[in-house]
Amino acid sequence: MTKTKWVGTDVTRIDAKDKVCGTLEYMSDLSFPNMIYGAVLRSKYPHALIKKIDTKRAKELDGVVTVLTHEDVPGLNGFGIAIPDQPVLCRDKVRYMGDAIALVGAESKEIAEQALELIEVEYEPLPIVDDPEEAMLDTSPLVHETGNIHNHVKIERGDVEAAFNEAYVVVENTYFTPRQMHAFLEPESGVATIDDDKNITIWCGGQHPYRDQLQVARALGMNPRKIRIINTPAGGAFGGKDEITVQIYLALLVLHTDRPAKIVLSREESVIAGMKRHPMKIYMKTAAAADGTILANEVRVVSDTGAYASLGGPVIGFAIEHSCGAYRVENVRLEGFCVYTNNGVAGAFRGFGANQVTFAVETQVDMIAEKLGMDRLEIRKKNGLRKGDIAALGHKMEASVGLLRTLEAAENSRLWQLREELKAKPGAPHKKRGIGIACSFQGCGLGKGLPDYGAATIELLPNGQFAVGVSCPEIGQGNTTAFVQIAADYIRCSIDDIVMLSGDTGHTLDSGTSTASRSVYTGGNALKLAAGNLHSAISTLAAEILSVPESDIDIEYGSAVSKSCPEKTVSFKKIAELMVERGKTIKGEGYFIWPVSETELEGYVGIPHLLYSYITQIALVEVNTLTGETEVLEAVSVPDPGKAINPQGVEGQSEGGVVMGMGYALTEDTIIEEGITLTRNFSTYILPTSLDMPCEIETIIAEELEPSGPFGAKGIGEAVCVPISPAITNAIHDACGVWMKQIPATPERVYTALKSKEVP
Amino acid sequence: MKKVKAEQKKLISFTVNGDDVKVEISADTRLIDVLRNKLNLTGTKEGCGIGECGACTVLMDGKPVNSCLVPAFQVEGSVIETVEGLDKSGELHPLQEAFVEHTAIQCGYCTPGMLMSALALLRENPKPTREEIARAISGNLCRCTGYHQIIAAIEDASAKIRLSE
Repeated sequence: MTKTKWVGTDVTRIDAKDKVCGTLEYMSDLSFPNMIYGAVLRSKYPHALIKKIDTKRAKELDGVVTVLTHEDVPGLNGFGIAIPDQPVLCRDKVRYMGDAIALVGAESKEIAEQALELIEVEYEPLPIVDDPEEAMLDTSPLVHETGNIHNHVKIERGDVEAAFNEAYVVVENTYFTPRQMHAFLEPESGVATIDDDKNITIWCGGQHPYRDQLQVARALGMNPRKIRIINTPAGGAFGGKDEITVQIYLALLVLHTDRPAKIVLSREESVIAGMKRHPMKIYMKTAAAADGTILANEVRVVSDTGAYASLGGPVIGFAIEHSCGAYRVENVRLEGFCVYTNNGVAGAFRGFGANQVTFAVETQVDMIAEKLGMDRLEIRKKNGLRKGDIAALGHKMEASVGLLRTLEAAENSRLWQLREELKAKPGAPHKKRGIGIACSFQGCGLGKGLPDYGAATIELLPNGQFAVGVSCPEIGQGNTTAFVQIAADYIRCSIDDIVMLSGDTGHTLDSGTSTASRSVYTGGNALKLAAGNLHSAISTLAAEILSVPESDIDIEYGSAVSKSCPEKTVSFKKIAELMVERGKTIKGEGYFIWPVSETELEGYVGIPHLLYSYITQIALVEVNTLTGETEVLEAVSVPDPGKAINPQGVEGQSEGGVVMGMGYALTEDTIIEEGITLTRNFSTYILPTSLDMPCEIETIIAEELEPSGPFGAKGIGEAVCVPISPAITNAIHDACGVWMKQIPATPERVYTALKSKEVP
Repeated sequence: MKKVKAEQKKLISFTVNGDDVKVEISADTRLIDVLRNKLNLTGTKEGCGIGECGACTVLMDGKPVNSCLVPAFQVEGSVIETVEGLDKSGELHPLQEAFVEHTAIQCGYCTPGMLMSALALLRENPKPTREEIARAISGNLCRCTGYHQIIAAIEDASAKIRLSE
């Protein structure tokens, strides 16, 4: 690997100072003169026909500037990443409580909210469907005319029945996972402006500015070039800002009023209208030989995508791809359904379907180990994927595979080594301690069959600095700092000489999403190509200045040097001066297309992946047998991110992921009953606080360098929150002998499980 | 035209980050609205509006409060400190420095409130244990970091402040 000056070091986040000073402007912090405030009228019913919408009284309210309905959507009245099945403003039907019916623009937020109450909507309530399995029946009310099954995935390999017959041990269970909420602290919000030529600029935290641009343009029936989207910065996203949130509403307001507009969702509105993680019911039957070899896995997943598709289709595909864990399994029968209901909407969320199935399969593996009297780590090492292996979908693991490295590092961790000692000392006689371990893999990138590309620009500025542009937004994960490090090492300059441009269709080329653990790999590779082109342009001018042939030019940190005559050098700063003098520009663009797996699964897109990140996590828990409460005392997290561009940043991802996965395992669930969201704010949706997190989280970075990655990097943003959840539930079993088949493992569920175990 | 309900306005005076200010408010104006909308101090963030997330934490007469829960009329005559006051001397406060050094920041939306809770703690308890730090920031939700780097930063800042005194 190339020697680096910045990559692999703990460079300070480029946005840290502005963030600690409170001077970084998030989108809701922006204001413009003459700005109006928008508010959205949401549905009163989870499923109903709209008979009439009357906005007259609202329009008459003093201070109301505009009231818009479906009639005011000039283009396609729909949005959605995969298919645009969600109306911008509903015309004849609502399918969940978050459905938007009207949009008010007013002189103040208060007036806008008051106007919402004056809009009269006549509904005809319809029977609701809130159970995804019922939704699959012919007798179910239809959420969409096209049928309630949005996507069906079915993949079979080998001979499952024969394997089950031959097996020494078979475990068969049904698991349930919750509707986790992203709970980014910044609710969906933004501002927009319009100029005299009807060019629209939208500032809204998001995860793919160019797709936002496309979706807004489509709804407005406008040329996308007339719409500029700025997605950076976002106050957290985690997949929940991948889909359109308020961008189209902002665009409609400015288009119809010629005034700047602002929309900030309240937390309650965000909870009701916004994305969630797909709740899944997972049936799993797993067979193993006496030596622990996993022989077969049969999986049936029903995923509740709620009222609209968003990325529900790809999520079920991803879940199926990951449903056999990071293991070699030769005989599989895997089936997944993504189903419409009237339960909110679900879409992309950190882990993208891996979280649910990993909880199931990692519990299955522990059950098999227990039945065989086998060590839990050994069974994982025995079956774990290695480079060259064939994974569950029949695809070859062609890229770097770091699973074993993570398992071995986890085995050597303090927590695993001292586990018996640590378990032996619970805090009280009625408390029991246990250790759990789990591992997983996480497909990076969008997968086979989906366009997955990146682009980057580097331009020498007149002062000798470099403007570096990658559009993948900064959503808090720290990718802009990683890009600065990568760019500085490819350009060979100081990180202080880089001006980073991010998440803006006006100043960066389309580099795709900040999702799918893809942005560092994509942006980094595009930067590598851009730096090569930049170096050619620099070399041309340097050769002229130094009076040597261009082929004689070498680029060192900060300057161009003659290879044959090393005393001949010219600094980037000097080159920049001459560039200005001669009226030239020096820049490089790089375009990168993702490599994909050779395996094609006919009829499916987004699976399989070529590149995966790997991870093993361990949890030490203490269960209060009187109350059923579980405390996670310590955790170990061993990610394989490929090269860690910024180790401190990877640690931050790892720790944050552990706590997010802990919330998923123990407390978090958006409860929706008969289409009505009950947990509408943080008083009832329980996020882990500083008092709940493990006292110790040890992160051990197990780098398995990926040859195709920038300096060997892959992606790690998602994997870090995945196996910790089953590590915790496996630890609960280790502590007190109960298998948790439904998460969150609330005190009530653990207590009930303990009590039913006592019954002979 | 239908009129919106008539609003009674009131002028209040208080101190923000050492400056005397006078602001016109209505009965339902909250402290966070005054800070963000009237004084343009947008460092203070709103995350939930019901005092659960702590993103809007500021100090009122030295005590951390959720500014989304404080009616503005209660602020009359009080001393308010926000994140913008931390580096007023032109130099970063040791807490800010420590947050930067420890990468105790990801998306940064909870950071201002987190810093203010930490400031209140260190003034009252210059040498807090990790447990005491965790307790002091337990009203400030962070969805990104998992809190460890934040606690380490506050611990580090407390040591640096003690050394410099």
